[in-house]
Amino acid sequence: MSAETTAISRPRRWDNPFDPDLSTADVERILAAPVFRDLDPNRFPPGQSLPDIVRNDARINRYQRGDIVVLEGDYGNSVFVILSGKVNVLYGYLPEIGRPPRRARRPFWNALAQLWRNSREIETRTLSPSARAVHMRANRGRAYLPDIERVIAEHSVTPLEHGDMFGEISALSRGPRTATVFADTDCELIELRWQGLRDLRARDPDLRERVDHLHRTRSLLAHLSESPLFAHLDEATIALVAQEIRFENHGTQELFPTGELPTESGGSLAGEPLIAEEGSLTDDLIMIRAGFARVTEHLDHGNRTVGYLKNNDVFGLEEIVRQWRGNGSVPLRNSLRAIGYLDILRVPAVVMERYVLPTMPEHLLPVAADTDIRATPVWKRDESATGIEQPLVDFLIDERIINGTQSMVIDLDRCTGCDDCVKACAATHDGNPRFVRQGPSHDDVMIANACMHCVDAVCLIGCPTGAIHRDLSSGDVHINDDTCIGCGTCSRSCPYGNIVMVEIADKAGTVITDRETGAAIRRATKCDLCAGQLGGPACQRACPNDALVRLDMSNPGEMVAWLHR
Amino acid sequence: MAASLTRFTRRRARNTALVVGATLLLVAITHLAETTLHDIRFVTGWTLFGLIVGLALFDLRRRIPVLPLGSASDWEQVHIYGGWCAVAVFLTHTGAGLPDGPLEIALWIPFVAVTISGTVGIWLSRVLPKRMRDHGARELYDRIATRRAEIAAEAQALAISSARDTGSVTIADYYQKELSAYFQRPRNALAHLTGYQGHLRLQQQQIQSLHRYVDARGHKILNRLSELVEIKDDLDYQFAAQSALRLWLFVHVPLAYGLLILIAVHAVLAHAFEVGPS
Repeated sequence: MSAETTAISRPRRWDNPFDPDLSTADVERILAAPVFRDLDPNRFPPGQSLPDIVRNDARINRYQRGDIVVLEGDYGNSVFVILSGKVNVLYGYLPEIGRPPRRARRPFWNALAQLWRNSREIETRTLSPSARAVHMRANRGRAYLPDIERVIAEHSVTPLEHGDMFGEISALSRGPRTATVFADTDCELIELRWQGLRDLRARDPDLRERVDHLHRTRSLLAHLSESPLFAHLDEATIALVAQEIRFENHGTQELFPTGELPTESGGSLAGEPLIAEEGSLTDDLIMIRAGFARVTEHLDHGNRTVGYLKNNDVFGLEEIVRQWRGNGSVPLRNSLRAIGYLDILRVPAVVMERYVLPTMPEHLLPVAADTDIRATPVWKRDESATGIEQPLVDFLIDERIINGTQSMVIDLDRCTGCDDCVKACAATHDGNPRFVRQGPSHDDVMIANACMHCVDAVCLIGCPTGAIHRDLSSGDVHINDDTCIGCGTCSRSCPYGNIVMVEIADKAGTVITDRETGAAIRRATKCDLCAGQLGGPACQRACPNDALVRLDMSNPGEMVAWLHR
Repeated sequence: MAASLTRFTRRRARNTALVVGATLLLVAITHLAETTLHDIRFVTGWTLFGLIVGLALFDLRRRIPVLPLGSASDWEQVHIYGGWCAVAVFLTHTGAGLPDGPLEIALWIPFVAVTISGTVGIWLSRVLPKRMRDHGARELYDRIATRRAEIAAEAQALAISSARDTGSVTIADYYQKELSAYFQRPRNALAHLTGYQGHLRLQQQQIQSLHRYVDARGHKILNRLSELVEIKDDLDYQFAAQSALRLWLFVHVPLAYGLLILIAVHAVLAHAFEVGPS
């Protein structure tokens, strides 16, 4: 009897389609639509046929004129193809419609009841059919532009119509939407979630080329429109600049390309390809489009890390400005290296001097480096350009902690090991702590093994069902337990080992097994920042010694303020 | 000047000023009451009771992390400085004198014990984490026993291999007589907490003295054993420090609850046997 209650069919990818109500007629309609009709069904194996992917990962959305399809800044991973009607893409203007509400917080009494409702057994789950049917992610709800005519008249919009595709930038870069798209007429759109796009791209090179081309050209314009350096240029000039820009990809998808942390003997920069070398001519302005880069300067036989660059940062601007001001040829002051993979844009110096710098507002021009600082030997400088002391910044970059937006940082000088943080985490997660109070450390700073909610969340890439996803508004990374099939892809992808696979049990504590093989059913678990809990992350609130904090590592200022608190 | 102070320094200065201010106010009120022949012992008594109840709520806050009741660090600050206020009220209430009756002694001793244990707890919490940093990697308390077993297993394997590979029993003998017991359980807790390192020095000297009796392979084994002794010593330090950081709470918290009960009894008796105009 007990075995019957704890054995289920192993969850599979096709268990939770994007739209459970998608009919066979709808699937045929999608397959006959632009983009999809160009796909060759013979390239897809029987177990993963083209109609299967469409049935599982696509849906048809209907919008009325003025409805917002995607909002700039939202996190989403779907691409859209226009089935009928027209939409407009709106750059650089954020409609005042408000962000979607954050995950609903539980009522006070419900939260209090958690104290005695928490399971006494570890990792228990209730596997009711209704729970399994929970949808992948909630829609943002209907939002619309209140004054569509005025928006179109006052702002630059790009029309898209039948057969056009959009949304590929966020889908491929795992970042927020770079533009707002709204319906210009009543329209129908095919929405294909990332998992489907990934499989179609993998099987069909023509589609991959088409999507990648769209991604390159559109993300370039989006990137230029986001950068303050080009904000003062008119559209025609931006187009001219865009024509001269070169894309480059460096590094590898592995954050630790050698498979282990850099060592002093092996050279801490091993596996970090050189992109621009100190002392060479400054031919281009380098803009970071995605990924991270390390900035270094020579010191004797080694290289001192000066800082790191992330999305939207630039390299070489000061040198280009000095050249433009008539200082002749100015060599690069630092070197630039790729950490993991890195996408960059190169804007030729001549283009900067001709189109950009002459009209750039004075306050955006970089101030020349402080000569006193430059005269100080590098080994005597206490801090890097980030404001963090040199050994710590080396540690943060070498361990790739800079990827975290919510890294759990513990001050070992104040942590007494009381484990109130762990107990609080367990109390808010049905008795199961979602982090380990251990991790890499440098001096008095420890980075605990808790999900960092990375800028570039590589754990999202391989998930077959989309169970691991970003929150639409905050971008935090969450796992939908109901749609996780326990494949472990995200856990293996996480470079920091912060996603843990657990065997789940029923309320009696008996491990739930696969009815066919008898193997334990597993789920991926990790820190969810206490989503839905009152008051935010319980770990941080529970620390009585001011020893634990969640920090955004892409903002060194936060770290500096905390270190000097 | 204020801007150059850290947030913690400013917080400490502000909280200390508040406690000193409240204490001065209390002394002034007490003095005024005495000069005007008013008896304010019931006022100070109930104030003290209220303060201790308030301080005890911190424990409740720690047990209810699911509600937005403010950060535990803010609660701890209130607990620490509220505790000092309670000491001031206690001294005022008792006239800063020693107890002279059984019930007074029964109240006085736990109050002093709670105060001392709390003060020691603060001191340990501020000092030991820094010292732990100088003694190897921070191990989770629950994993120390496992780590210790791993070290012991490696040491035992080394001792066995020394007898087998070098044909000498010097190392194996020393291991059996000295090191085997050393690796089996935590050692030198008191020495660690007082910062004494003599035991480690002695152990290392003994190992060093064996070098003259072994061959090259034996040297390597002794060097590794010496490292393991040091690692084990750091682990013992971690265990001693983390145990101390836990144990003081096992004194402080039960005593505080006991004190609360005794104060309640005291309040009932005081009102029952109250004399004179109310």
